[in-house]
Amino acid sequence: MAALGAALIVFLFWTGSFLALRWAGDALSPPPGTSPSRVPFLGGRGPGTHAWSRFHVRYYAMALVFLAFDMEMVFMYPWAVVFLEEGLMAGFEMLMFISILVLGILYGWREGAFRWA
Amino acid sequence: MGVRSALATLAAGAPTPAFVLAGAGGRWAAEQLWLEPRIAPALSPRAADALVVVGYLTEALLPAVILAHDQIPPPRLAFQWLPDGAPDDPLAGMVPGVRVVEGGSLVEVVRDAHAGLLAGRGDGHGDAWPDVEPAPWRGIGPYGQGGKGMTGGVPYGRPLTGRADDRDGLKLDRLDVRVGPVFPAFPPGLELIVGLQGDVAQEVAVGENPFEGGPASGGVFALALRKAVPIAELEVARARSHLRWLAGALRVAGLPSLGRRVLALAARAGPGDLDRVARLRRSLERGRGLAWLAGGVGSAREDVGGPVGRAAGHASDARAGLAEYRALGFEPLVHEGGDALARWRQRVAEAEQSLRLAGAAGDATVGPLDVVEGPRGPLGPAPLLELLPGLVAGMEWGDLVTTVVSLDLDLEEAAARAGVPA
Repeated sequence: MAALGAALIVFLFWTGSFLALRWAGDALSPPPGTSPSRVPFLGGRGPGTHAWSRFHVRYYAMALVFLAFDMEMVFMYPWAVVFLEEGLMAGFEMLMFISILVLGILYGWREGAFRWA
Repeated sequence: MGVRSALATLAAGAPTPAFVLAGAGGRWAAEQLWLEPRIAPALSPRAADALVVVGYLTEALLPAVILAHDQIPPPRLAFQWLPDGAPDDPLAGMVPGVRVVEGGSLVEVVRDAHAGLLAGRGDGHGDAWPDVEPAPWRGIGPYGQGGKGMTGGVPYGRPLTGRADDRDGLKLDRLDVRVGPVFPAFPPGLELIVGLQGDVAQEVAVGENPFEGGPASGGVFALALRKAVPIAELEVARARSHLRWLAGALRVAGLPSLGRRVLALAARAGPGDLDRVARLRRSLERGRGLAWLAGGVGSAREDVGGPVGRAAGHASDARAGLAEYRALGFEPLVHEGGDALARWRQRVAEAEQSLRLAGAAGDATVGPLDVVEGPRGPLGPAPLLELLPGLVAGMEWGDLVTTVVSLDLDLEEAAARAGVPA
């Protein structure tokens, strides 16, 4: 019961802090300004189109490759746990796995997958 | 003495953030403000407390200036600087609350008004344009955009972007944005209409020149068309022009302190500064950072004359045909490549060459000439503005800015040149 009370106090404290900060932010910030002053600054002209558009993230291929290799790191955690017990055999197995990945990187490199799109 | 006034006193000690923009005839005076420690030129009106227009306004420049004025967060100040004894600017009254300052007292006036503003005095004046949305919120459609689905309608009076083919085979939104004419990284008055997909400028067009129809600018180069002028004077003016360009280019490249030092050198450069300019040239030739920034960017191989043509290996220089220059041992300098890097190196090398010529020329004069080689090529129609759209199409934004800066465009001169017969 004491734990529940403590949790409630923590919850109330952080909710209160959050609301206080929100209020302070609103109270301190200047008024939002007029419509002409809110348009983005492009050097003296207003925008021709609405900002609601799909912006091309040109690093997306790079991001996917990064994610793929990042996920492969997950396999190395259980391997690291049993590495000392299994000995050299586990070392070779991981070396094989990594070599295949490196071949994949070299292939992607040759195909130009890492060039900035 | 409350906390508020103590803070105001502290704030008044800091440099005044000002959005400085150059009107007709004010480009170099506006540049000089970068040397002023009590003024901090801002790169956007949102970061400024004051608008400072240097020179004359034109009808075409006025809407951009007024929008920049409204985008400075209130309370704000507005100033216009005109040379001493110059006629009034009939358009000055169109910028609300603007205070016209003549002659050398601009910085003092701005500082006084800013200190007053921080202390709660003064006239933080209102907006020029009314607070009216271009189109009211209509509340139609799932997001209130006035249409169906995510792609319909005209939210807030602005159409959504259309889609177009991208260079990687996708069909993506193409934003048409107009950048300029008071964009700080561009030469004053340059407006580009850019079709952007992501950060790639798919299509670029040059907007109207706001200085069109303005008075022809003078200067020693235009004078040489009509009468004899000292070679030393011409060459010092050329070296200063190149160094001023270098200062601005360094600032845009993200080296404002170095740019400020070069600008201070440009203001007083003479034959005695030959060593300093030579050191500058050597450091630019050795520097890897510049090669990384500008190497291979914006190659223009055409013979367009001037430093841009000579940076592409074309030894065309109107001075080469003059006996007065040949007597001084003049030969046109050229660089290979024609990219932005070659143009940087070309101008600095020419600045050094000009100072050497000025030192050797003594009292020799030249002129009146039929063709005068100015710092941007022979006076007359300038082909660089027509060259620009083809040069920068397909570039990423950073390369586009590097290329535009490396061309050393001067729209005021281009407007005046239209009136000079070739």
